[in-house]
Amino acid sequence: MGYAMQQEHDPIVFQRDGVSLTRSQVDAFGEEIDALRQQVMADRGESDARYIRRVVRFQKGCEVAGRGLLFLGFLPPAWLAGTGLLALSKILENMEIGHNVMHGQWDWLGDPNLDSAHYDWDNTCPAEQWKHSHNYMHHTYTNVVGKDRDVGYGIMRMSEHQSWNPAYLFQPIYNWVLALLFEWGVAFHDLEIERVIRGDKSRAQFRKEQKLIFKKVRRQVLKDYVLFPLLAGPFFLFVLSGNFTANILRNLWSYLIIFCGHFTERAEMFTEEEVEGESRGQWYLRQLLGSSNLEGGRLFHILSGNLSHQIEHHLFPDMPSNRYQQVAPKVREIAERYGLHYNSGSLRRQFGSVMRRIHRLALPSRRGAAVVN
Amino acid sequence: MQTIIEPRRGWFGRLGQALTSPFQPEDYLALISPVASAREIRARVTSVHRETDRAVSLTLRPNRLWPGFQAGQHVMLGIDVNGARQWRCFSLSSAPQSGTLTITVKCHRAGGVTEHLLERARPGDVVTLSEPAGEFLLPARIPDRLLFLTAGSGITPVHSIARYLENTSFDGQVEWLHFDRRYEDVILLESLRELGRHSQLNARVVLGHQAPLPGDEQGRFDAALLAALVPDAADRQVYACGPAGFLDAVSEWHRAEGRAPLLHERFQPLTKNTGNGGRIRFSGSDLATEAGGGESLLEAAERSGLNPAHGCRMGICHTCRCSVRGSLRDLQTGESRTVDNQRVRLCIHAAEGDVEVAL
Repeated sequence: MGYAMQQEHDPIVFQRDGVSLTRSQVDAFGEEIDALRQQVMADRGESDARYIRRVVRFQKGCEVAGRGLLFLGFLPPAWLAGTGLLALSKILENMEIGHNVMHGQWDWLGDPNLDSAHYDWDNTCPAEQWKHSHNYMHHTYTNVVGKDRDVGYGIMRMSEHQSWNPAYLFQPIYNWVLALLFEWGVAFHDLEIERVIRGDKSRAQFRKEQKLIFKKVRRQVLKDYVLFPLLAGPFFLFVLSGNFTANILRNLWSYLIIFCGHFTERAEMFTEEEVEGESRGQWYLRQLLGSSNLEGGRLFHILSGNLSHQIEHHLFPDMPSNRYQQVAPKVREIAERYGLHYNSGSLRRQFGSVMRRIHRLALPSRRGAAVVN
Repeated sequence: MQTIIEPRRGWFGRLGQALTSPFQPEDYLALISPVASAREIRARVTSVHRETDRAVSLTLRPNRLWPGFQAGQHVMLGIDVNGARQWRCFSLSSAPQSGTLTITVKCHRAGGVTEHLLERARPGDVVTLSEPAGEFLLPARIPDRLLFLTAGSGITPVHSIARYLENTSFDGQVEWLHFDRRYEDVILLESLRELGRHSQLNARVVLGHQAPLPGDEQGRFDAALLAALVPDAADRQVYACGPAGFLDAVSEWHRAEGRAPLLHERFQPLTKNTGNGGRIRFSGSDLATEAGGGESLLEAAERSGLNPAHGCRMGICHTCRCSVRGSLRDLQTGESRTVDNQRVRLCIHAAEGDVEVAL
């Protein structure tokens, strides 16, 4: 009787991997996460401001030094150091600065240089578009197959919920092509060409977005592949190859961090039906279970844009990234108390897991799995 | 307070822009010059002069985005307090000249931006400025006879105008009465004395709570005092600046007797007569609160834990404008009205009944 009563008033709303949580438990979980957020957000202050400005200064310094050294690129050590510094600058700018600024993590500073409304990053993907596809679509519908377009970027099968077709047999290859051209993949995947073909998206909208992308691409290409090489005169090719290599290194690094964040084998996927009408607590649960963390030193965390704390980033996308390290143990403690898996491991382990997932899903699933679309 | 200002560029600047895209050349120049910016007017504090124990003058050297100003204008000054930029409005107290400007800050309450400036401003600091604004200006043809009536920190914009007149070929005559409680409270007193040495400018301090030195006066502003001190006051173009009560008295006198135009600049805009207050609902964040009649919507929002964009907190800069529905009282005029999703300045409106704010 008592159990039936409880069922009626407090139904089980979450059930996965042998863990079931009732509505009130999920609500309590959500409240604990909310309280953690409040605590940190209220504590933001001068030292956070100093941190991000220091990163920006360091990044700009690396870029100036890197591009300067590349003018001496005929000397192999200068080419190597220049390319390395430029790659470091691009990684820091994209990961720890740009991505996080565009999330609004630093809007509270009131500094127009670090304001999400005006910031644009050193990447072919225009900021406006990124804020839609990433901040809104990916962060709201994290790992919801059919909604979150980061799940496979429209070319790969990352979940059993996606129906298999023979084209996916080659996805280990697409994977590496995507990794090398990651910024281009990110820029163009938001055009949603397949939705235009299906007629779900108007051609006018498509053309508008296309124009925006081409404008940004033009400027990025002009800078890295025309103007700076030309300025080097006879050393044109050294600068060109250095810039190209730096862009590729940044692509590989961001691909690596981002794939490890959501596509490890234990990162969970969701269907649209599952997330319909979900509460704030359930949303938090999905962010926790759909993300995976990377362990490493302080420098590694900064280079990853603190996306090594992917779980914390997904729970608190607008919290200044330098605070994730501090909340991570508390999030882990809460998760474990509710019996929830806190997915964390070294880069090597997590990336191995991503590779296994990509290869496994290239083949059709053995058992009948849910099919979307 | 987020106005993005864009620099004008020649072909060289545009090349720099192409090389630094999507950033700006100034983002890299900032490595060596802290005032370099392509987005905001940054200024370096070059000197800090303590005027009284509650007031300080800061001389600033702005970057090239500063467009210059006219005597009598004000500017929003932004400084970072606890990491977050705070904006307040200040009058420019110096005469317009290229490359430098002075603001004089009087501290009204503890813990605010003004106190931060008073206690912490040092030469070498970097602050942010808005473009100058304000209509408290001299006309193109300056009248021969002028009357300056100032009180408290209202001395600052008029000081700028007086300094400007000193530098031009003005050949008229100015009477200047400055009202304050005691000599210790008078900001820019030395400069006022110095200006008063010119034959064309007769500057007198009128004290409310202290015996005046020879040449100065005692009393409060009223028509009789004015008639005694400046017999031809009614025929002079008047520039008045100071607290609301003072300006109300000046306006009253001018309505009755003035025959030349009156320009005034309000510094403490909020009326003391409060309404009934009411219940405020912040629709965007699902919060609600009861507010008193003297509490602005901005203050109520902040008390409820919200952090709405704001600037001057005195109705000048329009940064805090936000969509509001319900019954309001305008704290400047004391009048109440009903709005239906209009954008109003949160800092100068209070609830007068049920109000819904889109925050």
